[in-house]
Amino acid sequence: MIGGLFIYNHKGEVLISRVYRDDIGRNAVDAFRVNVIHARQQVRSPVTNIARTSFFHVKRSNIWLAAVTKQNVNATMVFEFLYKMCDVMAAYFGKISEENVKNNFVLIYELLDEILDFGYPQNSETGALKTFITQQGIKSQSKEEQAQITSQVTGQIGWRREGIKYRRNELFLDVLESVNLLMSPQGQVLSAHVSGRVVMKSYLSGMPECKFGMNDKIVIDKQNKGGSSEEGGKSGKQSIAIDDCTFHQCVRLSKFDSERSISFIPPDGDYELMRYRTTKDIILPFRVIPLVREVGRTKLEVKVVIKSNFKSSLLAQKIEVRIPTPLNTSGVQLICMKGKAKYKASENAIVWKIKRMAGMKESQISAEIELLPTNDKKKWARPPISMNFEVPFAPSGLKVRYLKVFEPKLNYSDHDVIKWVRYIGRSGIYETRC
Amino acid sequence: MPYMGGDDAVRELRRALSNPNVQSDPLRYRNTILKVIRSMSQGVDVSGLFSEMVKACATVDIVQKKLVYVFLCSYAALNPELSLLVINTLRKDCQDPNPMVRSLALRNMTNLRLPSLVEYVEQPLTAGLRDRAACVRRVAVLGWAKLYNLQPTSEIDASVVNELYSLLRDPDPVVIVNCLRALEEILKEEGGVAINKPITHHLLNRLKECDVWGQCDILRVLQRYKPQSDDELFDILSLLDASLVSPHPPVMAATLSLFLHLCPDLPAVSQAALERVRGPLLAACGSASREMRFTALCHIQLLLRSLPGLMGAHYKRFFCGYAEPAYIKQRKMQVLVELVNDENVVMLLDELKGYCTDVNADTAQAAISAIGRIGRSYSDRCLEILTGLLGLKQDHITSAVVQTMRDLVWVCPQCSDTVCVALEGCEETLQDSQGRQALLWLLGVYGERVSSAPYTLEVFIDGVRSEASLGVKMELLTTAMRLFLCRPAETQDMLGRLLHYCIEEETDMCVRDQALLYYRLLHCGIEETRKVLHGPRSDPSLGVLIGRPAEPISQWASSFNTLEPLRQVAVETESVSRGSPEHVTTDLSVTLSGCRVHDVCSDGVGRCADSSADVPPPLSLSPSPALSPEEFERLWLQRRALHAERGAEKTGEEDFVRLEERVRCPAVPHCSPQSLQAAMQLLNIQTLAFTPPHALPWRVYLYTHTQHTHSDDTPRRTLILGELLCTGGDGDGEGEEGGGGATGDGVRKPEEEEVKVTLQQQPRDDEALRGFLSILTSVLHTLTSESE
Repeated sequence: MIGGLFIYNHKGEVLISRVYRDDIGRNAVDAFRVNVIHARQQVRSPVTNIARTSFFHVKRSNIWLAAVTKQNVNATMVFEFLYKMCDVMAAYFGKISEENVKNNFVLIYELLDEILDFGYPQNSETGALKTFITQQGIKSQSKEEQAQITSQVTGQIGWRREGIKYRRNELFLDVLESVNLLMSPQGQVLSAHVSGRVVMKSYLSGMPECKFGMNDKIVIDKQNKGGSSEEGGKSGKQSIAIDDCTFHQCVRLSKFDSERSISFIPPDGDYELMRYRTTKDIILPFRVIPLVREVGRTKLEVKVVIKSNFKSSLLAQKIEVRIPTPLNTSGVQLICMKGKAKYKASENAIVWKIKRMAGMKESQISAEIELLPTNDKKKWARPPISMNFEVPFAPSGLKVRYLKVFEPKLNYSDHDVIKWVRYIGRSGIYETRC
Repeated sequence: MPYMGGDDAVRELRRALSNPNVQSDPLRYRNTILKVIRSMSQGVDVSGLFSEMVKACATVDIVQKKLVYVFLCSYAALNPELSLLVINTLRKDCQDPNPMVRSLALRNMTNLRLPSLVEYVEQPLTAGLRDRAACVRRVAVLGWAKLYNLQPTSEIDASVVNELYSLLRDPDPVVIVNCLRALEEILKEEGGVAINKPITHHLLNRLKECDVWGQCDILRVLQRYKPQSDDELFDILSLLDASLVSPHPPVMAATLSLFLHLCPDLPAVSQAALERVRGPLLAACGSASREMRFTALCHIQLLLRSLPGLMGAHYKRFFCGYAEPAYIKQRKMQVLVELVNDENVVMLLDELKGYCTDVNADTAQAAISAIGRIGRSYSDRCLEILTGLLGLKQDHITSAVVQTMRDLVWVCPQCSDTVCVALEGCEETLQDSQGRQALLWLLGVYGERVSSAPYTLEVFIDGVRSEASLGVKMELLTTAMRLFLCRPAETQDMLGRLLHYCIEEETDMCVRDQALLYYRLLHCGIEETRKVLHGPRSDPSLGVLIGRPAEPISQWASSFNTLEPLRQVAVETESVSRGSPEHVTTDLSVTLSGCRVHDVCSDGVGRCADSSADVPPPLSLSPSPALSPEEFERLWLQRRALHAERGAEKTGEEDFVRLEERVRCPAVPHCSPQSLQAAMQLLNIQTLAFTPPHALPWRVYLYTHTQHTHSDDTPRRTLILGELLCTGGDGDGEGEEGGGGATGDGVRKPEEEEVKVTLQQQPRDDEALRGFLSILTSVLHTLTSESE
């Protein structure tokens, strides 16, 4: 159980403090500030033990959230709870920043009251919480509309109220993936994984039952056993192996466990249907080939080639390659075939931006870096070259096979619903060592 | 209102609150209250407004109520008398038709935390337990726990406890979990809520309905349950199987913890469970949030203590990302060290080498000592990297490398040559006291092999006046003494100067006393001094080439999924800051109960322990004079070559004999090297090298000296070298000795049940050899029966 929850800004000023149990004294707030936020060295561990009190902290932008306890608790649970807390706050007022926290402090107190009672987590679903929360979130950059507060929680389904009606039944489905890569200078993949999310926006009347299907290997293999063999050869190649996935609470897990089918009654509006992770057969949209040559002590020649590795009909966007430079760089000459490149002295990096790039192309940049002679013998650690991009496909190879809607009570059927599907692949930590 | 002082603000707020115009306009009233709360959270003392706020409490507006409650709960402790006024309103709210208002009132009533109000709270709480709205019951149940915490000495009504027990069967899952939590607190003295069979089964059935937090709490409480039969146990386990691979790390961890608690007597089940969670654990290690990654890594370290092979194939998942925080990198390196094997060692070392130049000095140091740990098994490769790092001439790296080398040499004395060469010249870059201490230790112990040792020492001695670190001074004294023993001509003068300074001018008592001790020791003569100063150069207990033995799961099961595994950071980093390696007490000596025998017998001829009764009395074994691993290897290979040359012709060569024998002892290859070594040492057999348990082919090398009184009364000493080999299922293909062609023999038991013993003796003494073999066989049998 959690004894108290504090929120600090980056200076260590307390923005919110809520103590749930008497064993947490008032000085606990200061102890954390002095020992962790104001400590000279880097954070040594996300769990700090001060005077037999444990502080679990999580940082979001420049805000510190700390959960305090005197008991020997389950660490994973406390961290998971802090993440949940962040999610709930983000759902109410957007980004967790000092300004937003200050503007919404009453709301936060109210949330803290509902989510934790006597230090025990109670109710942490944003949808269900809306019944109990009276304050509206104040978003500093409010883009999405605040969903309406439902008057009462009804029936078994906490995430959807009855009597919703739309003139046009629409469904938006986004497959958002971030692809992470760590590659050795020789082009060997050291680690790669894709973490993806299926985000939906549903505007459906009544209490519809949805069924979602994708090219999950287990499902496809199962079907192939029954189906014809020629078809199996075709689809078997395109199926993907999902390492692990989690679902929104609306998905019936028992059905997923037994037959791997994803069926659910969707919440109204925006929500995240599932999260998943894959590590096998990832399509790496870009390959970065670095060539670094040290010419004497004061010059460095860098050549970086990027190759796009997807269908030539597709276009990647917002490509940015960040090539780190040594601290003692005095000047940089750049030649690039495509896009714009700039040396940013403040960031110690060459930033090369390309607006668009089609698949199966390659482009290169060469840079001559002049170095100041130093007597510092420290070897330059050569941080990895990182990359950012956005591509219109799912690097994991995930494909939506179907999304069916059934609403037996109201008279609209699956093909009356307008469905939109979109794939976006973004770079996560996409690094190549040089 | 940044320009207004606290007092002015409070006065202003009070005026606004008591203004009838404001009070009649709900929106203005609410905004004024909001201002009060805002100043409260900014740290202004608004306790003076308590009475006004109490008045504001009586309203139908829920928003306003909530705001006032936030205020009241913060200041109630300061105004116990005035708080009485609130109780009335709160109790009225408890009768409200709206369940939200009821639960709100009930929660805040218990949150006031005033012992004086307890009597007013009890009645509405009792009513709350029977409320028809679930949200009120949730609050009421926990309310009792709060009440109990306010007055831990007072007895809680037995009827309430009964009612709480009956609420464990409430339709609402949160009420169930809250009940469990409340009962745990209220009945803490009695050891928590009573977990019997019906309750357990009920909770397990409702588990799926609860949220993540509820599941965690239920699983934790169930750890106390003892299933009555094996069937029941397996039913429970199969019921929990789905949660074991739950995508939520807390649930997964809690389930695993429950598994480990439920079946401590079934290691196979626990092991299967551990293997099953490998996937989810690895997923947690790669999760987006660093705290979760850290927690998962800490728990993986715990698992590896019992199942070192668990993550072997996935070592790449523990490679560090550039931007990861230092604490994760360090943990990952600790895991990587555990995962090293013949196939991945090149890749792993390459990766670790990359971390050695990390910007963060702590990370770099951790990487270097990780390489040192791997060096215990792959010393050549690691030493190459370590010496390469010295070339960078950076103080923190050099310091870490020297410390690592010291630790490595202590365990693997065969590395000393390379280390001695590498040491030359690194004193210039060393800055910190830890590194210099390590360098001094190495100079003292291997002084005769480092040609520049006296010069290096001279620099230290000349600078002793400005030396700040106590540890360095103490180490310097010992080193100077040791070096004097092996190179007296070069060091005599500087030792004199050092002793003079330390005795006459040094202010620190410890240093002065040590110097005096050495001074007086020198008076006793050089031989005496040598006896005192000549400690062991390497860890006497460790001929073992591998790390820790696999611990039983029960050793850490109780700390799994708590804070403990996360805390160990501090302990492990501290071990770096210690002084010389001989000061470290290895935990090994604790496990080796018979280890002491070795010391007693070091005078040359030791008697066998009496435990082995079938040993012919005149044969005695002794591990000394000690044989270094290199010597052993040389002798062994040389003899084997000799043996191969002679081939089958059995010459009655006097000085040398070779014997092969098979012993049936199936469990020995699976017992830990430590216990094997302890058993051998009891009988004065020195073991030199091991493969880890369960590895195939499994080998142990050992030696001993026999002394055997023949009938002709001339004691004869022989040296016996031995190898135990178990090739497992894949036959003898690995064994170069090509033993016996037993694979083709269908009648025999599977190979893994047998250990092939190869002995080489010099000079030949058949009787002693047979005697030794029977001792060895009985040890192996004893070990087998023990581990069964």
